Amino acid sequence: MAVGSNNQKLSDHRVANQPVYVLHTYPFKETSLVVELFSQQFGRTAAVAKGARRPHSAMRGMLQSFQMLSGAWSGKNELKTLHSLDWHAGLTLIKGEALMCGFYMNELLLRLLPREDAHESLFEYYDATLKTLASEQDSVSNQSLNNSKNLAITLRRFELKLLQEMGYAVPLLTDENDVEISVDKSYRYEAEYGACELGTTKNGVQLSGSTLLNMANDDYTDSQTQNQSKQLMRYLLAHYLGDKPLHTRQLLIDLQGL
Amino acid sequence: MKNPPALEQLIDSLRCLPGVGPKSALRMAYYLLQRDRKGAAKLGNSLENALQALGHCTLCNNFSETPVCPLCASDKREQSQLCVIEMPTDLMMMEQTHSYSGMYFVLMGKLSPLDGIGPKEINLDKLIKRAQDGVISEVILATNYTVEGEATAHYISELLKTRGIAVSRIARGLPMGGEIEYVDSGTLSMALLGRKQL
Repeated sequence: MAVGSNNQKLSDHRVANQPVYVLHTYPFKETSLVVELFSQQFGRTAAVAKGARRPHSAMRGMLQSFQMLSGAWSGKNELKTLHSLDWHAGLTLIKGEALMCGFYMNELLLRLLPREDAHESLFEYYDATLKTLASEQDSVSNQSLNNSKNLAITLRRFELKLLQEMGYAVPLLTDENDVEISVDKSYRYEAEYGACELGTTKNGVQLSGSTLLNMANDDYTDSQTQNQSKQLMRYLLAHYLGDKPLHTRQLLIDLQGL
Repeated sequence: MKNPPALEQLIDSLRCLPGVGPKSALRMAYYLLQRDRKGAAKLGNSLENALQALGHCTLCNNFSETPVCPLCASDKREQSQLCVIEMPTDLMMMEQTHSYSGMYFVLMGKLSPLDGIGPKEINLDKLIKRAQDGVISEVILATNYTVEGEATAHYISELLKTRGIAVSRIARGLPMGGEIEYVDSGTLSMALLGRKQL
């Protein structure tokens, strides 16, 4: 009996066949890596991949972002030990500009998501968003302007979903006094408060009621909605991220300058 | 007990090496001072020497003691091809193939958004200038097939294509002597996607 309960305890810390995405890796000691994983049932998890920087490590080629993998790890501390990573599903091929969107999503997850906080539906959404990014790249590869627009909309949806999943309310249907948003009114949207009547606050971003309602209906076809939702999400994310800017955004700005 | 300041400073300096923490640095410092003082002196000298003598080649951006490195100065190389690689070690591997005789450009890194490594850090402005010298007719992108390497290749190709330079990317798929039974499914899917008409 005692042996049985002991086994139970050991297996508590052992995770196998867990669908994961690699968010980022960084060097650890001489030949190892710390891998930041986003897993279906355990949320963001950090694990050491021992020897993963050796030339013939089996793990070496597997540590690719944007591919759903199945991982096994163990450990009771915050930093786990990664045992294996294998292909879980087919290859998701993300190319070109969409890759940068993927990096952006990873950076948001790394910065906003606390470790070991399960977010199963966010995981599903992340997975679906990557598939959307891969397919958008295929379908409109020649119309680059249209493509950028679609990528941007995909990111807006992800940003909103991320904030909502993390428990930051982003009320889109009612204003701060619980009055329904009206289509033809303008509002100032302030973090922690929501939409405010013009003149009541100087903080936040100004936007029209129609933008908020369109976002609530997941309808981003209108170009004003696209612009204003971008401003709104940028403002809200900046509020929750603190003063450290996002690397991905800076990189894109630098690339524009070349 | 506190270490003497000179020792403390040495330990602190050794920690700038990747993967060296306070413990390893302490061990290295003790070893150098106690067991191998000659080696330590040599290390100090060569470090200072290397820092002074080595710069970047103005053409390929690799480390070089002269403004233009011997490889770039050689008249036996094909001047019209430019192969873009991430690190000097990649250059050595490319040379070992004996199947490429063009010029190189070493980025000294890759675009890595999550580590804050951007176009400035990998000398993209220098590459753009180099590729527009009028002699180069093809730029071959041989960055790694990792997500960062792919992103780097994408943005370089966009930047060069708008300037009217022909860009190609090295192929990927099954390795030499590769057996389908033993290859990982990611590589195999890429091989299928990149199949060639015979």
